Amino acid sequence: MAIKEYRDMQKRCSSCNFCKWIPFDKVKSARFAENCPAQAYYQYNGYSARGRFQLGLCLVNDELEPAGETQKVIQSCLSCGACDVACKICRYNLEPLEHNLELKREVVRAGNETAVQKNMRANLMSEHTMLAGKKKEDRDAWAEGLGLIDARKEACEALFFPGCQYAYNRPEEARKAVQVLQRAGVKVGYLFEDDACCGGRMHQMGMQEDFEAAAKANIRHFDAVSADYIVTPCGDCYHALKRRYAEQGLAKKVLHLTEVLAALIEEGRLVFTKRVEKTVTYHDPCHLGRLGEGYEPWNGKEVKIRSQIVTWEPRRPRYNGIHGVYDAPRKILEAIPGVTLVEMERIREYSFCCGAGGGCTELDPELSKWTAAERMEEAKATGASAVVTACPWCVSNLSAAESGMEVTDILTLVCEAL
Amino acid sequence: MALDRAVYKRLQEIVGERWVSEDPVHLETYRCASVQTASHYGPYDNRTPVPQAVVLPSTTEEVQQIVRLCNEYKIGFKASTTFWAAAGYVGDDNSIQLDMRRMNKWEIDPRNQIAVMEPYAIAAQIQAEAMKHGLTCAITGAGCSTSILASTAGWNGGGPSTISMGNNHDNLLGAEWVLANGEIVRLGSLGSGSGWFSGEGPLFSARAILRGAQGMGGDMGVCTRIATKLSPWPGPDHLPTYGDAPAYKADLPDNFRAYTICFPSWDAWARGYTAFYDNEIIYLGHRQFNMFGRDLKAAMIKIITNSEAQLADLNTLLEDPETQRQNADMKIDTQIVIVGMTERDLAWKEAALDEILADVGAHKSEMMLTKEMVDYTLAYLIRMGHKNLNYVYAGSYEGNMAWSSNVFVDAEWMETVVALKKKWEDEHDYFARVGGDSGLGSMTRAGGGGSTGFEFFIHYDGSDLHSVQGTRKYMDYTPIWMKEHGFGQDLGRVNDTARREDGYSYTQEEHNKLFYGTPAAHLMKYQWKMRELMNPNHLGGTYYRTLDPDYRPDAE
Repeated sequence: MAIKEYRDMQKRCSSCNFCKWIPFDKVKSARFAENCPAQAYYQYNGYSARGRFQLGLCLVNDELEPAGETQKVIQSCLSCGACDVACKICRYNLEPLEHNLELKREVVRAGNETAVQKNMRANLMSEHTMLAGKKKEDRDAWAEGLGLIDARKEACEALFFPGCQYAYNRPEEARKAVQVLQRAGVKVGYLFEDDACCGGRMHQMGMQEDFEAAAKANIRHFDAVSADYIVTPCGDCYHALKRRYAEQGLAKKVLHLTEVLAALIEEGRLVFTKRVEKTVTYHDPCHLGRLGEGYEPWNGKEVKIRSQIVTWEPRRPRYNGIHGVYDAPRKILEAIPGVTLVEMERIREYSFCCGAGGGCTELDPELSKWTAAERMEEAKATGASAVVTACPWCVSNLSAAESGMEVTDILTLVCEAL
Repeated sequence: MALDRAVYKRLQEIVGERWVSEDPVHLETYRCASVQTASHYGPYDNRTPVPQAVVLPSTTEEVQQIVRLCNEYKIGFKASTTFWAAAGYVGDDNSIQLDMRRMNKWEIDPRNQIAVMEPYAIAAQIQAEAMKHGLTCAITGAGCSTSILASTAGWNGGGPSTISMGNNHDNLLGAEWVLANGEIVRLGSLGSGSGWFSGEGPLFSARAILRGAQGMGGDMGVCTRIATKLSPWPGPDHLPTYGDAPAYKADLPDNFRAYTICFPSWDAWARGYTAFYDNEIIYLGHRQFNMFGRDLKAAMIKIITNSEAQLADLNTLLEDPETQRQNADMKIDTQIVIVGMTERDLAWKEAALDEILADVGAHKSEMMLTKEMVDYTLAYLIRMGHKNLNYVYAGSYEGNMAWSSNVFVDAEWMETVVALKKKWEDEHDYFARVGGDSGLGSMTRAGGGGSTGFEFFIHYDGSDLHSVQGTRKYMDYTPIWMKEHGFGQDLGRVNDTARREDGYSYTQEEHNKLFYGTPAAHLMKYQWKMRELMNPNHLGGTYYRTLDPDYRPDAE
């Protein structure tokens, strides 16, 4: 869709500004009531979903160009989807997140990508990863000696998709993830040198063609594999595969590692033997939580019923975050002896982003760092000694906030308790 | 027209470079496209003018410096908080927009049961903080996303809580106000150095200058801090909710009850309301869900209380005989919340309610008695966090046929008004066909009870010119119809005189022509004098209407 196809939606935004806050029924304090990091940090209206609708309308009307300060505003969106959930408390016919993503695509269409974006693309094309400085030939070093099934040659139960963060920056955790699955008797396969970046952050940054190219290449490999499901420990990859790859035609079942582990615990295939005396709070990664809903194909059109009620025919799938992955990680934490979970105020579908979404760690590091610090303030307010999460991007960004509070991957706790 | 460089530099010095901008992206995102909001606050087809700069002050002193600068250079200014209504946006080409977001501090004083707050402390935040102290605040019908300061000091402030907590403008205590001429005035007890606790005095007070029933629409300076009265909250220290978005529900203790009352006639409705007033049993009262329309409300309630449902399910639900029966049952309805401060209190209120219902032949809607419906109604009316379901159908709504009067007068006319709207719905496709009656309103417009107030929601599509123009035709017709039928002025078009259709403020000459010879002329002349005193350079908009006392039409 081009931005002009969003014109009606832009004009149907009611200026209610619900998009700036968590769902109001969930407000427990004045301090942690806002939901949009970009809006909360930069404060000007343009940074909100409502402002972005207005901005988008100006692009459609040729009143603004997707360059300069306008581009900065557009690219400050963390694509975290918090505005989308809040908007849909009262609206059934607006899609703020999809509109925000379309604005980013408009920047790319206009040829105004930043040098950072160009470098990421170049890296993805040559090295099959967007992580700067990382090489293709080093990608599967983490898997050495694990006895992984070569999924290209042999059937497996779970096709392990580590994602770039685990493959390059957290190889030990990647190994642990596989070892935990193997310990529970899961036959884990891997693509070895055919494993590549999911390209999800390209999608989040509006680089749609690059994302689709990456997706199609990966889907070809996935399709050739005989596996019951694909499992990834990364929240970003999970969203890419579960939702965006499905849009591109991926039919395979996709699970996050926490979903598999929770099921293994429930089946008694994974038993904790050690106590981990710790009070923790859980950070819901945006792309695992509210953006972790599965894709449902739909082919229909907008219609008006009863003269002016705008809806779709046939009934259109509604993505408002409620079917994301929230319970599985919490079940794991509850199952670990000694662990006490205390919740932050902003959780589940109205969780606050860690600051790593939308490529902002690279495109707007100042905002990204502030967002992480803001989230850590909320975590500290719970009295917990550690923040646990289930996405390496969140672990990395929250750790970078240097709050003095421990930030840990849920996998680490699992391994401590086994 | 760019701002004089010297002015821009001074603004940067006042608030810091980060907090002032004249970049087109920021100027354009501070414009109100009025078809996207309630257009009785502004024009239909046009956006408000482009401000020359957007400024985000953080203190009263900064606001004062900005206002003084504006007076020095004769630059207009408008302050706003949540940017929902057109009243908050600039009205001419030589104005700057003040975004008050950075002024969001608040303080709860539990001992005196008051809250002191800056402009961008919204109702949801204040209520959440007050609940920790066993208190709550009045939340207007406009919902908890709104600034309490805005409705208290500058606009209207009635809603479901009016009956037990008063309107926000009734609850105004001390206030700090930067006049449009740059002076700082402190009202109520604050003005006599006695703190925030009282809006009137001790002894002397200028409260009445700041506002009457209708505020000044932000035209006469910037209110930077106010105190408001809080009310007892006999519930837990936060709103305990459950369920999935968007159908959150409140799981409150048993001393909270929510009912949808169904009346057999408008006369019974009026008698029921007056009995509610007389017996003081209602905590929250609003004819709320009828905003979806008489024919659609039961189906819509089923949609909004089910996280998996959506508008595409509406037609199927409308065909369901059980839903049709439930809908017919609540044809003339209202939602109420009853709260017991003690067990005896609750028992008495329940008994009184039952007796009133028996007296007038009303009953409680069975559909709305299930735990889920009760809990949804509680969450809705206590927090008012779903208020923007006003926009659910197509993104825009208009309120018209609005009047505030004795309930028996309302009762006499209600079906006539419904028939008119239904006729337009049936004969045209300008706005949603909902069964005519979409009257929504607070149980009372006065604390404790008294006159009620309704507006009829017209749901239209702001992106569809046919819908916009057709709605406008209806909106233009209804005030004429109302005048002919003795209703007086319609809220739906009352702001015709506040902002021109092109989004700009009126000139004084235009206001003179509009008000000369009207019943309100003497008031507008008085307001002219007030403005000359407090805003000699005419730097606000024209929501504060004025008539030049020396104006004579034949002088032209």
